[in-house]
Amino acid sequence: MGPPMFEGMMGNGFGLEVLYSFVIILVSLMIYFSTKELYELSSYKGIKYFRLSFLFFAIAYFVRSFIKFVMFYFSLGDVRSFHQDIFFGLITLALFSYFSSMAIFYLVESVLYKKFNGKMLYVFHVVAIIIAFSVLFFISPRVILTINVLLLASVFTAYYFSRKEKGKNSLSVIYGLLALFFTANFIDTILPDLFRGLQLWIYLVSISIFLTILYKVLRKVGAS
Amino acid sequence: MAKRGRLEIIRDLLLILRENHFGIKFTPLLRKTNLSSARFSEYFEEIKSKDFIEEKIMEDQKRYFITDKGQRFLEKYQTISDFISEFEL
Repeated sequence: MGPPMFEGMMGNGFGLEVLYSFVIILVSLMIYFSTKELYELSSYKGIKYFRLSFLFFAIAYFVRSFIKFVMFYFSLGDVRSFHQDIFFGLITLALFSYFSSMAIFYLVESVLYKKFNGKMLYVFHVVAIIIAFSVLFFISPRVILTINVLLLASVFTAYYFSRKEKGKNSLSVIYGLLALFFTANFIDTILPDLFRGLQLWIYLVSISIFLTILYKVLRKVGAS
Repeated sequence: MAKRGRLEIIRDLLLILRENHFGIKFTPLLRKTNLSSARFSEYFEEIKSKDFIEEKIMEDQKRYFITDKGQRFLEKYQTISDFISEFEL
């Protein structure tokens, strides 16, 4: 038997959070490591950005589970309390924001780097840093959310317009869903009460999306 | 004929090296690749730095051989190519 506080947290949905984060981190790292040899042999930039995207997803979800831990441990409703009570929590939130933005940006960069000659990556880093700082300066969850949702929407609009000549395919749908549910996860991290009751569905769909990408990767990479 | 991509050129270079079991000299290799000298040098330096080829002195002349890592690239070329196409990278 563990300490009563820990048992209370596990019963309060924290166990589900841990399991969910563990699965996403594991799947992301499997994608990252299973493509290692392909990148080492080819030095192909598209593969590099694709791998980095999933490494950053893994880091973002790791940081996210820490935020969830802090919120469960101190019974916090939303991130405003981070500023009032726990400053290191706010730093963690800024890190989460940076890593999650960069995960999405790297995915977009993996598809579009040839079009922009790799120059967009610098812009993406700057934007991700600005977003992370906005978390530190604008404590309002709604401001943070608006910035992130607008940003993701603009990035994916650019993505679809720049490759519209290729038409829709299964990859576009998967990436679209990934962005949508990653945004839902972001909102859920900042305002956990907003999706109360829907969390399990968000988690299940998110895991399904990551597993679909892992399946597509392993089918191509094989046993290497 | 469509312009070859970077990976395709590396594959073609390594295939020439693999066909020549007793090694190949620099000039015949350049000729067989159908590349300009400048482009050839660029790719040649890349495969050398990635240890896909090794240089041996035979009868006072430099000859180039494919290494195990180079062979591995050839084995994996189709997988790499399929992966890039699958994820539109």
